[in-house]
Amino acid sequence: MTDPTIKRIETVLRKPAVIFGAGAAILLLVTALLALAFPLYKPLLSSQFSFSMIVLAVMLVLILSATALCILFERKIAGFTQDRYGPNRVGFWGLLQPVADGLKFLLKEDIIPRHVDKPLFLLAPALALAASLLGFAIIPWAGQVRWPWMPPDAPPLSTQVANLNVGFLYLLAVGSLSVYGVVLAGYASNNKYAFYGGMRAAAQMISYELPLGLGLLVVLLVSGTLQLDQIVQQQAATGVWNIFLHPIAFFLVLVSALAEANRAPFDLPEAEQELVGGYHTEYSAMKFAMFFLGEYAHMITSSALIVALFFGGWHFWGLPGPENVTWWAMLIKLAVYLTKVALFIALFMLVRWTLPRFRFDQLMRVAWQSLVPIGVALLAATAALTYLGWQRNVWASLAANLLLLAVLLRSAARSKRPVTARQEDLPEIDVRPTT
Amino acid sequence: MRDDDIIVLKEPELTPAERLYLPQILDGLKTTLRHMFDLQRRHAVVHQYPEQTREDTGELRTANYHGVHRLNKDPDGRVACVACFMCSTACPAHCIHIEAGESPWPDREKYPVQFDIDELRCIYCGLCEEACPVDAIELTPLYELVSCTREELILDKEKLLQIYEETKGIKPRRNPPVTDYGLTGTQGLDVAEPNMKRKV
Amino acid sequence: MPKIIIDGHTIECRSGIPVLQAALEAGLAVPHYCYHPGLSVVASCRLCLMEMKMPNPKTGQMDWAPKLFPSCQTPVRDGLEVRFRSDPVRENQQHVMEYYLLNHPLDCPVCDKAGECYLQDYTEANGPATSRMVEDKTKNPKKDIGPHTLLYQDRCVLCSRCVRFCDEIAGTGELAVVGRGSRCEIDVLPGQPLENPLQGNVVDLCPVGALLDKGFLFKQRVWLLRSARSVSPADSRGQTIWIDYNEAGIHRIRPRYNEKINEWWISDEARFGWKHVHRPDRLRQPRIRQGVALQPARWEELPGLLRAPFAGVAACASPAGPGGGARLAQPPSLLGRGQGEGQGIGPLAAVLSPMLTCEEAWLLAKLARSLAPQATLVLGHVPVSGHDQTYPNGFTIKAEKCPNRRGVETILQHLGGPTASFQEFLAQAVEGRFRAAYVTGGYPDAWVTDPVAAALARIPFLVVHDLFPSALDGAAAVQIPGAAWTEREGTFMNCDGLLQPFERALPPLEGVKADGQFFYELLGQPGLFRAQTVRETMAAELPQFSEVFIPRDLPKRAH
Repeated sequence: MTDPTIKRIETVLRKPAVIFGAGAAILLLVTALLALAFPLYKPLLSSQFSFSMIVLAVMLVLILSATALCILFERKIAGFTQDRYGPNRVGFWGLLQPVADGLKFLLKEDIIPRHVDKPLFLLAPALALAASLLGFAIIPWAGQVRWPWMPPDAPPLSTQVANLNVGFLYLLAVGSLSVYGVVLAGYASNNKYAFYGGMRAAAQMISYELPLGLGLLVVLLVSGTLQLDQIVQQQAATGVWNIFLHPIAFFLVLVSALAEANRAPFDLPEAEQELVGGYHTEYSAMKFAMFFLGEYAHMITSSALIVALFFGGWHFWGLPGPENVTWWAMLIKLAVYLTKVALFIALFMLVRWTLPRFRFDQLMRVAWQSLVPIGVALLAATAALTYLGWQRNVWASLAANLLLLAVLLRSAARSKRPVTARQEDLPEIDVRPTT
Repeated sequence: MRDDDIIVLKEPELTPAERLYLPQILDGLKTTLRHMFDLQRRHAVVHQYPEQTREDTGELRTANYHGVHRLNKDPDGRVACVACFMCSTACPAHCIHIEAGESPWPDREKYPVQFDIDELRCIYCGLCEEACPVDAIELTPLYELVSCTREELILDKEKLLQIYEETKGIKPRRNPPVTDYGLTGTQGLDVAEPNMKRKV
Repeated sequence: MPKIIIDGHTIECRSGIPVLQAALEAGLAVPHYCYHPGLSVVASCRLCLMEMKMPNPKTGQMDWAPKLFPSCQTPVRDGLEVRFRSDPVRENQQHVMEYYLLNHPLDCPVCDKAGECYLQDYTEANGPATSRMVEDKTKNPKKDIGPHTLLYQDRCVLCSRCVRFCDEIAGTGELAVVGRGSRCEIDVLPGQPLENPLQGNVVDLCPVGALLDKGFLFKQRVWLLRSARSVSPADSRGQTIWIDYNEAGIHRIRPRYNEKINEWWISDEARFGWKHVHRPDRLRQPRIRQGVALQPARWEELPGLLRAPFAGVAACASPAGPGGGARLAQPPSLLGRGQGEGQGIGPLAAVLSPMLTCEEAWLLAKLARSLAPQATLVLGHVPVSGHDQTYPNGFTIKAEKCPNRRGVETILQHLGGPTASFQEFLAQAVEGRFRAAYVTGGYPDAWVTDPVAAALARIPFLVVHDLFPSALDGAAAVQIPGAAWTEREGTFMNCDGLLQPFERALPPLEGVKADGQFFYELLGQPGLFRAQTVRETMAAELPQFSEVFIPRDLPKRAH
């Protein structure tokens, strides 16, 4: 603060014109470069394989920078909900905070404690980040596209990295891999807090795989396919998103996704009040940052998956539908998809700054005593509907959901009294004067 | 205690809807959202610290702010502390280290040869100030406590006295209670030889 | 056993004691200043007054007498009924306390007695919160009345405990009450400061902060100290003491009541005999002679290093005999490197210092005998200075300035085999009879005289286990730092054969191992050395060690 040069730089960076001007300039520069180099990569755009590679590269860059930005937004939202401003020192509105954070992570001392299992210790953060990123491969970002220079009868290109026919089975498999990073970190750290964190993560993830799988099965029964792009196309074609058919399944998947991403209120593996830092207690500098990025990447994957499964992916009423495969329609679809994902991330963050953390027994009870039975009941109901051929009938599905909800309320009313009570609900105390 | 003195409270039950958690969660989200968009409150509560300080807004209560410690001086400019160890006994963080010695002044018995406070260990509870029988140790309104090393923040007697000089303008020393802590004997006739002539 | 009734409770007490003593022993907190069970009764403080039932001369009935009686001066008799919990008694206490506080300065923060001051406690319990005195308090300068003692006259309550102590216990009578009325004060006679060998006790006796120890002055506050039960090594009488210490080390030593030995008192030697524990030149790490100089070594190396040469010496030693000395024809080889040579190796000796505890002496003797069944066991140097001093009431300061001669002797007698006195050992060493010796020291002062050093220098493999560097450093092959008695636990057997255990107060210096623990490891025993466990194994062979004497702790404020 005392150095006038630094002070001047700081003041300049905090002017919105400077930040947005620089941003626009960079955007213009990139666009110009892309336009100039267009002939170079034009042939690559035409084949599905090379196009997929390009999508991969673009989305990887986009998501990695988005995770960094996510951290800023998380802190902003935290600030706002607590009547604060959040980071606003680095750049206008704190927009350069991710840069400062990144620099700090890079420059911090990278400590490898003497007592750790070194290979696993090094492997764990990489695994955590990689497992979260793998899921992006099957997200159908913007439907299909046919470039103007391609013949009109040519099959349109898919904007997926890989259109796997096993679809979200792959996502399930890869999603559960991320527990590996956490458990390895906990084990390799050779620290009891880290180990507790790892153990909790393992138990939690295994428990929440079940309701997640059940929720996904419901969608599978409704759509009859595992491929995400087809699920999205179905929703876009009818205009009826799966959320309208199966709100309870959506709720199951949402809760499980929160738990799988170790987000509050299910962030027990890193509960800092109990476990110091949980599984990443012993990590510092870039390795810690990788866990951090992994968590946010996992959150983005989960959001993207939920959007594809329940919120019609890139579809929005009144905007270009599946039959429009022009390049500008693709950009609009991409924008719609990313907006939906961003809204979900915002929801995740808001939930984190609203709800207190579950206790571990509560966490387990929610999974095994509530979510799994609900999921099974819902699955049975959907199976029955599918047998009758009404699986895409909104009214039939909603009726089934409402029925289930009524049963739930009924059983909740009948079950044992809860031990929790609210202070303001206590009856008036009639205190007699003691004689 | 009679049986009818016992009041049995019926535990309030959650409604089935509340037991589904969802209404509660939505309630909570509503609260956080309300705060998120309450710009007025945010502007009213937050101080943009380096540019805008509490001194500027007049909100710093200099009389009782719990900031860095100081050691007061008596009217003669000597350290007012009598090294009674009350502050270090009361300190819950064990951050005060005192070494007492015989004072070089004839009208005082005991004084601190060494008086160190580890400001990093201190929790600024103010119990030392409460415990001091001569109001010698006080917490000042200084809150900007930074250094490049941990050692610098272990403040010694000289530094604490210097802080008194710096802050006596904004927080004058209270009038200490009148006691006999330092006053034994007449000045100049402090330690008498055995059977020396003494006042009759 | 007379039975008296105090406050309606029937109490059985010893006969011949004052009611106050009976009440204190029953656990009642009766305020008092001048009464001390070890001193004569003067009943001057008027704080312990009580109500007593006496026959009413008018009716002949037993009734509460209208006057209060000093409980310290009323001997118990069967059926006596008194009460302390009554309004007259309480009012008397309040009035007397107010009177004491008239001139007492309010300087508890700078007074070293604060925290264990009777005046403070009684004021909190009975006294007035404010003073009605409007005149200036009488101020008296502090007086230097002796080499160890300061008198703060304005804090004095004139209980005359110190004066009676000097008259009755020490018998020297230096202190006296001079003056009258408000000018009354304690003083010494011209040119005769308080310097008898028991004078430190007046500081403990003083119920307020009037008499203070110069060594402890302003050092610590008493509530920051912890106390360990210990036995003084100052002389062979085994005076029991409290060691008051905290993280910074020992701060003072107070007497611990012991009805068999020192009662409420200790000698100044015991009181001030702890300074050597904190001497900066204490040995802090084991050292081994390599070449000419002693080089630092690790504790883990020592057992192997010591056992091998000792075992080698033992293996080749012939039974002790006068001819053994002639075998030292070959040049001495250190660290047992020459042990394979077979001949020329003389016997092994272990010098058991009377500063060792019984347990340590036992372990070391066992160690020596396990290595060489014919090892010579020697009772170490017994320091003696002057003659026994006996004081009028029977308090005795022994001339023998070590705590455990009798204990070591008992062990040596029990083990039998070749033993020697220290003088015999020195003479044999000069003859060159010993090839290896383990010498323990632990004395607070320098003990190695030139003849001792010269004699021990003849021993090729000399292990010295001591607190301080000494003239033996040049001769020692291995030098092991010892722990002071405050850093060890164990038992001392006093000159009358009384076995008294003591606790550890401080941890050993950094880098130093407690002697007992080291011997334990040398013997190959697993785990931690605990004096009581070792004592129990000793007791299996030696019944003298089966019972220890631990004096009971007096209740707080009981004297």
